[in-house]
Amino acid sequence: MDRFVDLAVSAVLLAGLYATMAYGLGLIYGVLRVVNLAHGGVIMAGAYLGWILHGWAGLDPYLSIPLVVGATFLLGMAMYRVLVRHLPRGPAGGPASLLLLFGVWLVLRNVAYLLFTGNDQVIRTSYSTHALPLLGSFVSVNRLAVLAIAVVTPALLHLVLRRTYLGRAIRAVAQNADSCTLVGIDVERIYTLTFGIGTALAGLAGLLSATIFSFNPGFGSGELLKSFVVVVLGGLGSVFGTGVAALILAIVEVFAILVMPSYLTAAVGFVMLVLVLVLRPGGLFGQRVLG
Amino acid sequence: MTGAPMLEVDGIDVFYGDVQVLYGLSLEVREGEIVTLLGSNGAGKTTTLRAISGLRPPRKGEIRFRGRSLASLPAARRAELGIALVPEGRELWPQLTVRENLDLGAYHPRVRANAARNLETVLAMFPRLRERSSQVAGSLSGGEQQMCAIARALMSEPTFLMLDEPSLGLAPVLVEQVMRTVAELHASGITVLLVEQNLRKALEVAQRGTVIETGRVRLEGTSAELSRNPEIRAAYLGI
Ligand SMILES: Nc1ncnc2c1ncn2[C@@H]1O[C@H](COP(=O)(O)OP(=O)(O)OP(=O)(O)O)[C@@H](O)[C@H]1O
Ligand SMILES: [Mg+2]
Repeated sequence: MDRFVDLAVSAVLLAGLYATMAYGLGLIYGVLRVVNLAHGGVIMAGAYLGWILHGWAGLDPYLSIPLVVGATFLLGMAMYRVLVRHLPRGPAGGPASLLLLFGVWLVLRNVAYLLFTGNDQVIRTSYSTHALPLLGSFVSVNRLAVLAIAVVTPALLHLVLRRTYLGRAIRAVAQNADSCTLVGIDVERIYTLTFGIGTALAGLAGLLSATIFSFNPGFGSGELLKSFVVVVLGGLGSVFGTGVAALILAIVEVFAILVMPSYLTAAVGFVMLVLVLVLRPGGLFGQRVLG
Repeated sequence: MTGAPMLEVDGIDVFYGDVQVLYGLSLEVREGEIVTLLGSNGAGKTTTLRAISGLRPPRKGEIRFRGRSLASLPAARRAELGIALVPEGRELWPQLTVRENLDLGAYHPRVRANAARNLETVLAMFPRLRERSSQVAGSLSGGEQQMCAIARALMSEPTFLMLDEPSLGLAPVLVEQVMRTVAELHASGITVLLVEQNLRKALEVAQRGTVIETGRVRLEGTSAELSRNPEIRAAYLGI
């Protein structure tokens, strides 16, 4: 029973992280029709930013959230303004932006190797080992905090997308950009902000992960692929779909440990991806974009 | 009733990539007028409206609005001047609700504070949209979508309204209704540029018309003159 609770808690926690990462990837794809291959690199960058702020400036990782989110938001906006804006989009423009953003990822990764070497790091705080009793098991406070933030963030974003003029403009740009221009929406500005928001979600997910898992400059590739799985499963920009898909992936991954050797569990997500693409190419929740 | 030139299109060339679609096209709409732009499929009517709204700027020539050149004004800033387009095929945001579609119509800063008042005005005009306001726009019938597209344009308080084939694909009753709406909007003081395939209906509501053919002006005149023109009668009115 203990083991079951442990695994269930791990699954929910992972689901929160996956949802945060995937929501950023799906938002960017839904609005700009660009697959942001640099997403994994930004996840890694978010981890290192938190680690630097903690190790060199003594800043608690939770207090560094605004800084990391702000920095990766700016990074994303810069990536859009300097690079992505000039590339063709959509099906025909796919290869150009894929290659370019993959290049950005390689640059980020190599800069990290240069600065930090390939050693594994983790952000360890005074409360890293604190645990609370829950359902007859013990759950780390840090994990609970990560979970809370990973659940609250996409929910907040959902509210912004639904309730504010800016959020409605973002959803409208995803559905018909010319009509947005006609009513006075500066579409380029929306693209820039959306790329920033999506990238900041990757940065946040990286920072949160770094308080639990060890990471090195290669960190982020598995996360990117899992984000793909969640986006394909859950649809674009639907908070509910993303959350459910993230939970499914996390549960399958975590409980696979019970039935197969651990070196195989990493492949579970990809098997699911292939199955979904074959059986339900529109994703489990249909094709709606930021509906 | 009609006054100074409101819109002047002055010898514009417009391209899609390397393909030229408009050749030195000129057009004038005066304050308070209702003018129709006519032409067969592919003549360049939609392209002309896209050039005016800034979505497809001309490579040569100039477009002026109330005497001011629009050349350096980005498309997204033109709604602020009072220019609105009801595009061909409605072009609503299909997965946003009717209400959200309308709200976004009042996006630009000059009118955003009036959004609630404007919403009441357009819903009073199109009671059908009130019933449908929480439905997504993609689920509306063709006629309702057209009303929604017109209402969205009105949310921005236009003084110059362009409509691109608003009766396309609608049942005859609805065509009547749309044309009556256009006439009412004009009567309320909005200057109108109307693109129509339904030439007979267009000449009924418009004061003047311009006929274009493969991107060039072919004929111009008052509605009465155009309706009498033998070429037009043969080519478009089937007489
Ligand atoms: N996006 C585009 N790319 C390339 N060519 C285009 C594009 N849009 C229109 N054209 C071409 O430009 C010409 C004018 O098209 P336009 O849509 O302005 O005509 P129209 O008068 O509005 O026709 P319709 O009555 O069918 O709406 C046509 O020959 C069309 O094929
Ligand atoms: Mg047309």
